Amino acid sequence: MNKKIFVVLLVLLTAVALTGWAGGAQEEAATGAAEEDTGEVVVEEWEIPFLNVLSGPIASIGEYLQWGADRAAQEINEAGGIAGKPVTVKAIDTGMSPEKGSVEMAKIADSALVSMGPVPEPVIMAAMPIAVENGLYSMTATTSYEYAVEFFPWSISWFAPTKEKLPPVVTEWAKMQDLDRVVQFVESYGPWPGMAEAHEIGLEAAGVEVLKQVDVPTDAVTFGPLVVKALEQNPDGIVFACNAEKIAKIIIELKSRGWEDLNNLLVFNSGDAPELYTTGGKQINGTMIYNYTNDALDTPRWNAYKKAYMEDHDGTRPPALSTHYYDAVYMIKEAIEETGVTGDPDKLKEERIKIRDYCNNVKNFEGIQFTWSMSDGVPTDKPLFLFEIQDGDKELVKEVRPE
Amino acid sequence: MPLPMYYFLAVTAIYILLSWSIYLPYRVMHLHFMSVANMTISGYLGAYAALSWGWPFMLVLVVGIVVGAFVGWITSFAIGDAPTFAVVIVGFTYIYISKTVVENTDALGGTLGLFNIPSIHSDPSTSKLLLLIIVYLFVILMGFLIHRFENSRLGRAASAIFVDHQLAKSFGINVKRTGMFLQTWSSAMGGASGVLYAYLMRNLFPDFFTFHLIGIAMTMLFVGGYATMWGGLLAAPLLWGGPLLFPPEIASWRIVIYGTILVVMLVLKPEGLITRPLVYRIESYFRRRRDRRIPS
Amino acid sequence: MEVFIAQVINGLSLGSVYVLLVTGFNLLLLVALIIHFSYPQVVVLSMYISWTVMNLTGNNIILGILAGILSSIILNMAMAPIFQRVMRNRGQVDINSTLVISMAIGMIVTDILSHGFNRGFPISFSETLAGNQSSLTIGLINISQGQVYTLVVGIIGVSAFFWLLYKTRSGRAFRAIAEDPSGAKQVGIPLLRTGLASYALTGLLGGVTAVLLAVLLGSASPGLGEQVAHKVLAVSIIAGLGNLAGGLVVGLGLGIMEALIQGYVAGSWSNAIAFIILLVVMLIKPRGVFGMKL
Repeated sequence: MNKKIFVVLLVLLTAVALTGWAGGAQEEAATGAAEEDTGEVVVEEWEIPFLNVLSGPIASIGEYLQWGADRAAQEINEAGGIAGKPVTVKAIDTGMSPEKGSVEMAKIADSALVSMGPVPEPVIMAAMPIAVENGLYSMTATTSYEYAVEFFPWSISWFAPTKEKLPPVVTEWAKMQDLDRVVQFVESYGPWPGMAEAHEIGLEAAGVEVLKQVDVPTDAVTFGPLVVKALEQNPDGIVFACNAEKIAKIIIELKSRGWEDLNNLLVFNSGDAPELYTTGGKQINGTMIYNYTNDALDTPRWNAYKKAYMEDHDGTRPPALSTHYYDAVYMIKEAIEETGVTGDPDKLKEERIKIRDYCNNVKNFEGIQFTWSMSDGVPTDKPLFLFEIQDGDKELVKEVRPE
Repeated sequence: MPLPMYYFLAVTAIYILLSWSIYLPYRVMHLHFMSVANMTISGYLGAYAALSWGWPFMLVLVVGIVVGAFVGWITSFAIGDAPTFAVVIVGFTYIYISKTVVENTDALGGTLGLFNIPSIHSDPSTSKLLLLIIVYLFVILMGFLIHRFENSRLGRAASAIFVDHQLAKSFGINVKRTGMFLQTWSSAMGGASGVLYAYLMRNLFPDFFTFHLIGIAMTMLFVGGYATMWGGLLAAPLLWGGPLLFPPEIASWRIVIYGTILVVMLVLKPEGLITRPLVYRIESYFRRRRDRRIPS
Repeated sequence: MEVFIAQVINGLSLGSVYVLLVTGFNLLLLVALIIHFSYPQVVVLSMYISWTVMNLTGNNIILGILAGILSSIILNMAMAPIFQRVMRNRGQVDINSTLVISMAIGMIVTDILSHGFNRGFPISFSETLAGNQSSLTIGLINISQGQVYTLVVGIIGVSAFFWLLYKTRSGRAFRAIAEDPSGAKQVGIPLLRTGLASYALTGLLGGVTAVLLAVLLGSASPGLGEQVAHKVLAVSIIAGLGNLAGGLVVGLGLGIMEALIQGYVAGSWSNAIAFIILLVVMLIKPRGVFGMKL
């Protein structure tokens, strides 16, 4: 009797597996029946799947990343599309789940021409090996170089290696503020400890004594103990490499304990998120922050983007990361048009490589913020901006270009 | 086999194992979330052994199971007969500790994570197929053992403890030893799940094994039915696979959907979809058919 | 010494958060016999509702506070039938199933906060409500108004509820219903009215806690409840489930211990050390240091 149940189970399992194989065979047949090579675009519409985080605790980040990508698609379509055909960005939610990310990546791995995302590092770690194995180029435009590089050439890094890109801006800040002793608040998440090490290099280059770092527990609720630990070392400057909300709370705690010169506080680029401003409000006025996006830029394209974003988001300014997938969509457009990609399923493999090679080595790409080039998947000349925060706005203090 | 099907089946198997690893100690009323911490410990240990010492997959799997069992067994001396809430919080604490240890250990990739865990075969397709077969053979083996356990004296003892802890004691059932046995088994399954998960994902990140896994596994256990092993088997593909078919607007609310299903089930059908009486009915149906076929 | 005193005061501040939450948690155990693991998430939901009302009324603090307290009472009373139904399902008082259903409620609340309020971003309370203005500052030693309020209300709250539950007729009625509903009915306790009153009472405490947390922390995020939920359960278990005075001592003790570890132990291991100490105590005393009061 019990054996029967196992037999039924095995039969069901086999049936499911066979159905799966059969489905695969049908897909291959469909691919084989594609139109003949004419050298012209064969698709009626370009579809770019975007593995994004649209649920869970950081769904708010996914929302504005999606907004940027959709905005680019809308602009492109209004201007005639990609090679004359409209483009859509297909939102695919992975949440924070590596398992869901893997299945979603597997769904597009053998059919998509190119894809974007995933966004959260746990999902990147789980899903990108599938893209690599299947030769799918997926643009990971928000994560650090240290994650993207593991999947080169099938991923792209929006940032230069952390220890090359960050030190100069930290050195500039330390020199500008004439600092002698600096302490860092560091949270153990993904690339952040590595970014803190890069800050140290920059501080040492400015002749600053780097004090014992203060580790910020992920589940910290109050920040008095950490602030006292920092202040007892008598620092004259502080660098933050932790969660944006926690940065705001630590600054408020510092102020309540008499810290006055907020220019001597520096927030890293991952802290430049809406949480910093919604939690900190006016209390973080004067704090310095570095990032890749210049909110104060005055160009028609940026102004239109900013206006549209603020209209859709109750007057909130576009977060720095919101432009990343906007630019990614435009980069894909340029790659398709410049390399003559047709969208022909028969040429899927070679056209994927064309897009990959074009993007990874694009020259003078006109992003919404600035023009930059890539070399083997790494940006070569992206500037960093140093700002001062005032009433939820950022005022440009200095632009630091790589040497 | 199409890739989505492969990943769906492989992750389903992991969830079946995970829900069984929570089901087993729940037979004596223990919500033993330590199996998620065991996933971290054995998964990372196995991945490190494979990457640094070149251990083959089967050795890694066996060691992962042994390490999981050992950690569970040692801990069970303290919580083998502890109240449910104490077992819950010990599980949570283990998850935090194992995560902090991983984050602070450079050899395990620290906060960045551990990359490029080897495949079990040089050809990617063969590797996937082999891994899937191994995973399901392990599921079948565990299912068989659990089924045997349920019909054993120990299984009946566990049922008695579940119904009335004190009464079971008065009948001479060794409550602590039963709890220890089930917690150790659960931890061993957690360890195996961790190793299999590591080989499936090929990279590890400290946030892989956290509370989202508990939420999902717990929902599977209580929606499927906590009174029989078949509950997890049914609920794992349903609850994990269902949301994959949702459109993005609905899929982004899947945690709310999971939570709501769990609340509704606990209120309206607390024993879950597959109850003991249902299993007995199905078993007696097959028994009757068999008896009809055998001429008297 | 100055640093040590500063860290002890910081620890008391953190500990008072645990005390407020663990008192509400224990109260639910005592008056309803439910293990509401996600009680902190529900308190955070009340903080969000309070913030929403303040936003809609041009930062009207009175209305904000009222909304926080009322919403907590309503939420608590709305959950009462669910908990009662689950407990009755097995024909006996089953507090373990209330733990599971509470976890499910926590999942729902956290995800709704991630989607439904302020686009998932953390909320920040008006500076007039947030109590981070210093009352006393001597070097590194700093005491804020919020810290004073939460600690004082925490201690008064525990004392008041202790008195209510153990020294008054109503309190004995609450506990009688939780432990043996049919017995309580036989001795003439009105089940429905007293039962609802007990849930309303815990809701009231939850609302006050929400307001005090808004004053102390000045902000909230969707994950805040989850961040503290396991520690609240740990405090309650280490103290002994339902032990109000034990909760006060262990809550403050855990806060001070965390502050000292964060202040003196180098490296990101500090969190693990706090958890290892918790684990060791729980493994040695799984039924609590001060004994269960159920």
